Amino acid sequence: MSLELVCPAGTPAALRAAVEAGAHSVYCGFRDETNARNFPGLNFSPDELVEGIRFAHAHGAKVLVAINTFAKAGAMDAWKAALANAEKAGADAVILADLAVLDHAATHHPDLRLHLSVQAAAATPEAIAFYADTFGVKRVVMPRVLSVEEIAKLNAAIDVETEAFVFGGLCPMTEGRCSLSSYATGKSPNLTGVCSPPEHVAYSEDRNGTATRLNGFTIDRFGAGEQAGYPTLCKGRFMAGGKTSYLFEDPVSLNAASLIAALAKAGITALKIEGRQRGKGYVTEVVRTFRAAVEAIDAGGTEVEVGRLLAGLVEGGRQTSGAYKKAWR
Amino acid sequence: MAEHFRGELPRLLRILAAPAGFLPLGPALTLAVRRFARRKPAVFDRLGDYGKCSFLIEPSDLDISFLMVPDGTRAEVKCLRRRAGQTADVTVRGPLLVLLGLLDGTFDGDALFFNRAIAVSGRTDALVALRNAIEDAELTPADFVGATGGLGKLVDRSVIGGLGLARRFTGSPIPGEPS
Repeated sequence: MSLELVCPAGTPAALRAAVEAGAHSVYCGFRDETNARNFPGLNFSPDELVEGIRFAHAHGAKVLVAINTFAKAGAMDAWKAALANAEKAGADAVILADLAVLDHAATHHPDLRLHLSVQAAAATPEAIAFYADTFGVKRVVMPRVLSVEEIAKLNAAIDVETEAFVFGGLCPMTEGRCSLSSYATGKSPNLTGVCSPPEHVAYSEDRNGTATRLNGFTIDRFGAGEQAGYPTLCKGRFMAGGKTSYLFEDPVSLNAASLIAALAKAGITALKIEGRQRGKGYVTEVVRTFRAAVEAIDAGGTEVEVGRLLAGLVEGGRQTSGAYKKAWR
Repeated sequence: MAEHFRGELPRLLRILAAPAGFLPLGPALTLAVRRFARRKPAVFDRLGDYGKCSFLIEPSDLDISFLMVPDGTRAEVKCLRRRAGQTADVTVRGPLLVLLGLLDGTFDGDALFFNRAIAVSGRTDALVALRNAIEDAELTPADFVGATGGLGKLVDRSVIGGLGLARRFTGSPIPGEPS
């Protein structure tokens, strides 16, 4: 097998669905602020993680635990506990971003395999070499701002594994450094694990359609029947220069299925599917489809029509290859 | 505001379903949810304090709605006439078959929202918590009627098969395919 398929699980049921649909690895997080999908009702208790890892291993799949928010100054206990619980549960790797958490893991859990989260935004050979040399990081998740060519050059200059997102929600900003959610709500994926925390999101309907509000700011309005997107500022519609438009990014999902072969050629080890906040229906369909796509490419067969098969699951009803093929660079 | 959703029941079935409003659905569903809470308390732990929130479920193709407070073994479900004008912490509206698909995990809630197959209002955090708790619950039709063992499997096979046929017949969204 040339490419590892790394799939999301927000709940134990989603983990089982991902494994049964063909995930080589599943990533998940604990039910607290230590991971970047800290939504109500989502994630795993330590006991659920133990059970989930047992299930995954019994089916030949790995479990990677995301502990990828930035620890609070002077209050690192939750992150230390998460590392200890991940190791105790038998995690195959932890996905980290914060220097202090990486240092603690390397010092106190030397047997844990360390992956560097996209939240660390390591996009240069120098940065990646620092994480590899200092903490023994074995894999780096590529920031979603790089083109395939840039990833190929990067891989030629480093000697750790790399993982690239191929499907799902798309951050147009450099992850780990975006403050839009903090600006509007005081909470961010970087520190509290939530972008546009749901307690600040409200939808209201009137004869003009559905308005989306984030902490009182109206950030979009969808007409009847118009496709909707996530309630994030980066995908909001604003007026500038007398024109209303999506200023940063349209509501759209990443789909790099057509670039799987190119990413493999560029030296990528693993393909990552976004969506720990999504349901079992999404996990099953996306994982099954991408597993078929990877196997078809491995076998030199016909490309699977991923875009058509998954069209009903994407944000805003649209798909993009994102920065991987960005021409304006 | 009147909204028309893809996958609604045809007019004849709506007429046939109209007497459902006179059945004791509220007490029956209350018992079913409480029974489920005793069997799988972890699902309600996942819901946390949001279990005390009220959720108004409005099938857009029926003249009844359901007001639910999913507070574990103290859960309560009321069946209401649609025009009762009930308020709740959260309101979810969509075709009956689509709403049932959310319960058993057939549909992804985000995808239904993107495609406007459902409409939501009220406390988004409570809705997200309920959605995630339901996702992990792996509810089956047998859970609602309290059937277990061979009978439970028979109920699940029959109801899931029937719902699948009904969704195809009504043009409900198909997982993965655009609405």
